[in-house]
Amino acid sequence: MKTIAISGKGGAGKSTISALIIRWLKDQEMGPILAVDADSNVNLNDLLGVEIEESVGAIREEMKRSAHKLPGGMTKQAFLEYKIHASLKETRDFDLIAMGRPEGPGCYCYANNLLRDIMKNLSDNYSFIVIDNEAGMEHLSRRTTQNIDHLVLVSDPSARGIRAAARISKLLKELDTRIGEKLFVLNRVKKHIPDVLGKVIDEEGLHLFSSIPEDDTLLQMDQSGKPIWKIAEDSPAYQAVHHMMQKLLKREKNGV
Amino acid sequence: MSKLIATKAIRGAHALVKRAEEELHLAIQQKGPETKVEFPNTGYYLPVSHGILGLHIQTLEGLQDLLDEAKKLLPALPTDKLWVPYLGNTLDAGMATLFADEIIEAIKYTQDPPPYLIEANPDEEHLWIGAADDIIMRERGIEFVDGTAPGFAACVGYCPTNEMAVKIARELQEKNLYVFMSAATDGKSMAQQLREEGIQMGWDTRLVPFGDDVTATIHSLGFATRAALSFGGAQPGDYQRILRYNKNRIFAFVLALGPVDDEKHAQAAGAINFGFPTIADTDIDQILPSGICTYEHVVSPVPLEKIVSKAIEVRGLKINITKVPIPIPYGPAFQGERIRKEDMHVELAGQFQPGFEFLTTKDMSEVDDGKIDVFGPEIEDVEEGVQIPLGIWVEVAGREMQPDFEPILERQIHDFINCANGVFHMGQRDINWVRISKEAKAKGFIFHHFGTILHAKIHGEFGKIADKVQVQIYTREKEIVELRELARKVYKQRDDRLADMTDEAVDTFYSCTLCQSFAPNHVCIITPERSGLCGAYNWLDGKAAFKINPTGPNQPVKKGKVLDADKGQWKDINDFVFQNSHKTLEIFNAYSIIEYPMTSCGCFECISGLLPSTNGIMIVYRDYTEMTPSGMKFSTLAGAVGGGVQTPGFIGHSKQYIGSQKFISADGGAKRIVWMNKALKEEMAPVLTEIGKLEGVEDFIDKIADETDAITEEEVLEHISKKNHPALAMPPLF
Repeated sequence: MKTIAISGKGGAGKSTISALIIRWLKDQEMGPILAVDADSNVNLNDLLGVEIEESVGAIREEMKRSAHKLPGGMTKQAFLEYKIHASLKETRDFDLIAMGRPEGPGCYCYANNLLRDIMKNLSDNYSFIVIDNEAGMEHLSRRTTQNIDHLVLVSDPSARGIRAAARISKLLKELDTRIGEKLFVLNRVKKHIPDVLGKVIDEEGLHLFSSIPEDDTLLQMDQSGKPIWKIAEDSPAYQAVHHMMQKLLKREKNGV
Repeated sequence: MSKLIATKAIRGAHALVKRAEEELHLAIQQKGPETKVEFPNTGYYLPVSHGILGLHIQTLEGLQDLLDEAKKLLPALPTDKLWVPYLGNTLDAGMATLFADEIIEAIKYTQDPPPYLIEANPDEEHLWIGAADDIIMRERGIEFVDGTAPGFAACVGYCPTNEMAVKIARELQEKNLYVFMSAATDGKSMAQQLREEGIQMGWDTRLVPFGDDVTATIHSLGFATRAALSFGGAQPGDYQRILRYNKNRIFAFVLALGPVDDEKHAQAAGAINFGFPTIADTDIDQILPSGICTYEHVVSPVPLEKIVSKAIEVRGLKINITKVPIPIPYGPAFQGERIRKEDMHVELAGQFQPGFEFLTTKDMSEVDDGKIDVFGPEIEDVEEGVQIPLGIWVEVAGREMQPDFEPILERQIHDFINCANGVFHMGQRDINWVRISKEAKAKGFIFHHFGTILHAKIHGEFGKIADKVQVQIYTREKEIVELRELARKVYKQRDDRLADMTDEAVDTFYSCTLCQSFAPNHVCIITPERSGLCGAYNWLDGKAAFKINPTGPNQPVKKGKVLDADKGQWKDINDFVFQNSHKTLEIFNAYSIIEYPMTSCGCFECISGLLPSTNGIMIVYRDYTEMTPSGMKFSTLAGAVGGGVQTPGFIGHSKQYIGSQKFISADGGAKRIVWMNKALKEEMAPVLTEIGKLEGVEDFIDKIADETDAITEEEVLEHISKKNHPALAMPPLF
């Protein structure tokens, strides 16, 4: 089981890249894949062209709210596990789970402790876990998502986006989450990377792993509400993700 | 951990890597780099390097890569002056050791003839049989997965007497464990001792003599690695999964018998990577804190008489013997497996079809042991991908059986069915949910087998109380809906019985130290009548959590001698709290807000506080952010009450506790409540009205003030005087 997490500033294209990675893994027949939507602002499910009925966050709230009126005799562990498995959106190519909105006030130690165990057991059933993370990385800091083998830090071609990626990278060092490697990816690149951005990248101590070109196909799909899941294989963004993933998996094979 | 033991392991690793380098150099010189190396008849190459690194070594030259990896991992020897964390380095040294072992063992097989007998069992002349081939692996490996053999003991060294060696071997065999023997010390080994006593050895008797060299220990770990590759679905090179699989599924450990030298220390370090602890009979340095292994890593000195039981305890091994006669593999390894929709043949009950699970007691004469009936379509009658209803009705008879055990046995249906490979089970009672995979169906699994599993497991695990078991499986809606109504009536009776459970009725409470990460001196004691203050845990949850994770934050605590029945004080509870609050709290009353009240972490749902002039208390829920009559808002109160300090006059508690008979019962109980924030009051109204009735107080709810009546203590006093609140007539609080 390998975990790939995608993070970066809001609007950098995390969900798009997540969806492209999932699609690529499916095309390579590397499944089963578990897609985790851990960004409550954007909906990965729309990009993948599926509906989601209930999120983990909502289930957690429900459990907390009705703590003393759970279905009789059922422990909270059993209840939560049942509900989470039931919330999983299943397709032929991947399963999707939505983490939902962040925590409200009150104590979450107990609920998150249960959640960690359940998520861990669930993850063991898949070859790849792809996590679309929100910028704040709440699920990582609460350790409700798994350790990560490859963290893809995405930025749009802006100084602010690059700095945000660098900040996330530093922040993660302080967390108790094990991260295999961090890969910096620049998204929506027009032809070439302007020198001024190259300088910011260097200043922040980042190393460019891959760049994804600006792709009109994506824009058009977005405008017409067509899920990115259906993208044509010859589109430039898909091709770029293809090269990125090949490189990523090859590095892994070589034990980098 | 101690620097001493790390130093020994690292020193041993250096010696073995050096030896591997020399032997490899020599072998290449003598035989040429293209010389083939392999363990006989295996498709796993050299299993440890294949599994952990993904290497496909086939020649002497190929071993060079493995040697390079070993060297890369080899940490520097700790110097006299340097003190650093050692566990990481020791683990690396352990892994380097395993690589060196594998190189040395592989070279042995290039000798003609090899020093090992290539058979499943030793013969008269040859004792040592070396690496297991794939036929043995397939035959024996599945036993590790389905629980027939829970694991193995890798025995290194020798016992002081032959008699002792035989005794230990027998004890391990009785537990269904495999005994892997290697690494002689001063030319003496356990396998030789067994041979001198005429004991039959080999894979057939589960007493396997690998080799006398210390490096032959690798064949134990090679076996473990292959188990993860072939049964755990791990890919070569996915070392994390391989190691985790072994930690979680293969209950193995190392018994270090007799003197332990540097190279054996290095082997122990290698085994720790797999989550296998080492138990020694001689006095070596211990590694007690847990981390990689489930519990301790190295334990010594343990007398030989007790070494097997100690090893089982340290490895966290549970012995489970029953073989379930179904055509698919069965064992705890398959718990938590999700059947994806893609792979599913049929879904039973769940969100779209009715279902239930029910277990009941019958008279001995009414139960025909082992009788299993299926009412409705069997698996071959249903099309692929459909959803159908499911009812499971279990009848148990036994001399020791009591209705109180029914829910406990019934809850086990989940675990029992989940252990079948290709069967997914969730939920319980009338919200059960089952999936059966296409693969399980192809292997011959049918609905009837639910009964087979339950019959076998209830006998196996509850043999003491269950003498006869019969099972009915329903897959037709009509009967299921009818029987579900019957079952629901019983569920309700059980719940009512549970709700009536009192603190006096049990002799054990449960602790909760989940929040010690931020309130290090706080301990919750959860009783049937006082749930955890966060509202998340009740007594049953504590009990269930302990069953699931025996070393977790919820531990059973015996009450011990009653010191004060009214205030709720017990000797053993006091002792436990004292120890676990890091000696900050000596006395504790479960039912009082005034005298030695229970402490809080900070997760409380509610805070109760004294309002002295009213002779009563106020309760505020954590969502209420406005001022309270105590002159403090919830946040300020929380700061004063949380953090594990005793604050007489204040307690944090769950909503549920307000309705408990034991709610500050030492101080007069719920009748003391003079103020609540409105939302909480409304939510608790049914419970409080009930209490009012019992206490003979009319319109009790109306007598309790809220923020619309009063926000200062004076206003509260005014309100309750006007309403003639019962607190005013009660004895003074202090």
